Amino acid sequence: MIARKPSWLLSLVAIAILIYMNAPTIVVVLASFSDTSYLTVPPQGWTLHWFEYVLGDSRYMKAIWTSLWLASGATFLSLILGTAASYALHHRLVPFRDLILSAVMAPLVFPAVVIGVALLQYVSLLGLRGQPFVLLLAHTLITLPYVVRSAMSSLTGINPQIEEAANVLGASGFTAFRLVTLPLLKPGLVAGAIFSFVTSLDNVPVTIFLLTPRQSTLPVKIFASVEHGVDPSIAAASTLLVAGTAVALVLAQKWVSFSRFF
Amino acid sequence: MTRSRSAGVGLIGPASVLILAGFLAPTVIMAMLSLRDYSGMHGIGTDWTLSNYIDVLGDWFYLEIILRTLALGLIVTLLCLVVGFPLALFILRVGSMMQTVAILLVTFPLLCNIVVRSFGWMVLLSPRGVINEALINAGLIAEPLALMYNLTGVIIGLVQIYLPFMVLLLVPALQNIPADVEAAALTLRSSRARVFFTITVPLASPGIITGSTLVFVLSISALVTPRMLGGPTYRVMATQIYDEFMTNLNWPSGAALAFVLTFIALALIWAANRVAAHLTRGISA
Repeated sequence: MIARKPSWLLSLVAIAILIYMNAPTIVVVLASFSDTSYLTVPPQGWTLHWFEYVLGDSRYMKAIWTSLWLASGATFLSLILGTAASYALHHRLVPFRDLILSAVMAPLVFPAVVIGVALLQYVSLLGLRGQPFVLLLAHTLITLPYVVRSAMSSLTGINPQIEEAANVLGASGFTAFRLVTLPLLKPGLVAGAIFSFVTSLDNVPVTIFLLTPRQSTLPVKIFASVEHGVDPSIAAASTLLVAGTAVALVLAQKWVSFSRFF
Repeated sequence: MTRSRSAGVGLIGPASVLILAGFLAPTVIMAMLSLRDYSGMHGIGTDWTLSNYIDVLGDWFYLEIILRTLALGLIVTLLCLVVGFPLALFILRVGSMMQTVAILLVTFPLLCNIVVRSFGWMVLLSPRGVINEALINAGLIAEPLALMYNLTGVIIGLVQIYLPFMVLLLVPALQNIPADVEAAALTLRSSRARVFFTITVPLASPGIITGSTLVFVLSISALVTPRMLGGPTYRVMATQIYDEFMTNLNWPSGAALAFVLTFIALALIWAANRVAAHLTRGISA
C-alpha cells in the first residue's frame, strides 16, 4: 500500500464508523446510570441504584457466578488440553495430524446453534441435562480451538533446537518443556486464554440449550429478560459484562500485543 | 519412536476424547435423528426417512426462511465490505498514535458481549429509543420510524457485530500490497480510482474473500441478534432451529434444518479456501 496521509473525507468517514461500532456499548453503559425507571439516554439524573438491584438479586448473582466459574473453568481446561494437543501435533508425535487438527478446530467453523442443538439431544439421551460438568465440557469444546490456534502459531516461532539443547544438558522431556518451551509459549497462551475466557463469557447459542429453567448464565439471563421488556437493571447487568471485558482487554494489552489476537 | 508415539497419544488423548465424545458423537447422533420420521401424535418414530429434508427444502415456509437468511447474509457481508474498506484504509494511513486508538476502538466491540451489543441496539432503535426520540424532538419526524423488529434492525445490528472481523482482515490484506505496484500504475497515468479498482482490490482479494466468507457464515448462523432485533416473528434459520427444538419440539425437523445450515456454511468455507489459495498463488507468481 502506498503510504499516504488520510484525506479529511476519509478521516470523517472513519470516525463516523468508529462511533457506529461503539455506540451500542456506550448507550448501554449510560442507560445503566439513569435514575428513571425506564431507559433514558443521556440519563437525566445519575444513580447506582440499578447496580445495587442487580448485585442484590439472587438470580442475577447466581447467573454471574455461573458465568464466571464456567469461563474460568473452561479456560483452564482448554489451556491444559490445548497446549498438550498442540505440542503433540506440532512435533508430529501422532499419526493423522491434519485430521486431528481439523477435528479440534471444527467447533469454530460449525454454526454455534448447531453445536447447541446437537449437544441438547445428546445430553438428553444420556440423561445428563443440567449437570454442571456438561456445561463445563461444552464450553471447553468451544474455547479449545482458540488456545490451539494461539499455541500452534507460537510453537512455529520457537526454534526446536533450544529444547533439544536442554535435553542434551540433562533435562528430561517435561522439565525441558516446562523450563524452556513454556516460557516462550506464554504470550501466545495468554492471548489464547483471554480469547477463551471472553468467548465462554459471551456464549449464548450453545449454553441456552444446555440449561434447565432454574439455571442461567449472565448473557442468557439478559437475553431472556429482554423478551419481557427492557429496563435499566438489564443495562446495569450488561455494564458489568462490559466492565469485565474492558478489564480483560487492558490485561491483554499489558501482556501481549493486539496482533496476537488474530 | 515408540516412546515418543506413546507420549504423543498421552498428550493428544484428553483433547481427542473431548472432541470425539462431545462433538463428533453428538453430530452423528443428530444426523441419525434428522433421518427419523416424526408425527405430532407419536413424536419421534423408528423408521428411516428423508422426509425431514424433503419438508425443509420443499415446503415454502422453510424455503422462505432459508432464502431470507441467505439474503440477509449477503446484505450484511456487502455492507461490511463497503463500510470496512474506508476504515481499513484510514487505519493504514493514519499516524501510529491514532492507529493504536483506532485498532482499540475496533477490537473493543469485537470482545464485547453480543447480547450486550444487541441490547444496546434495542435501546437505540426501539420506537421510543434514543434515535427516534432525538428525531422527534428535532421535529424531523412526527411518528417513530420502524427501525427494529424488522430487517432494518437486524441488518444494523449484524453489520456492527461482524464489522470488526472484516476490518481486522482487510488491514493486513491491504498492508501486504507492495507500494511500488500502485506507484507504477500512478506513474503510468492511471487515475487513483482506476488504480484502486484494477490494482488494489484484486491484490487484496484473498483478504476480501476470507473476510466476506467469515462475515457471511457468522451472519447466517446468528441466533441472538436476529431474535433480539428481529423479534419473535422474524424468522431466520438459527431462530427457526431454536424454535423447532425448544417450542415446537419437532426435533427431527430442527435437526434437518441444522444440517442444511451446516452444509451451506462448510461448503462456503471450503470453496472460499480453494479460491483464496488459487488467487494467492496467482498473485505471488
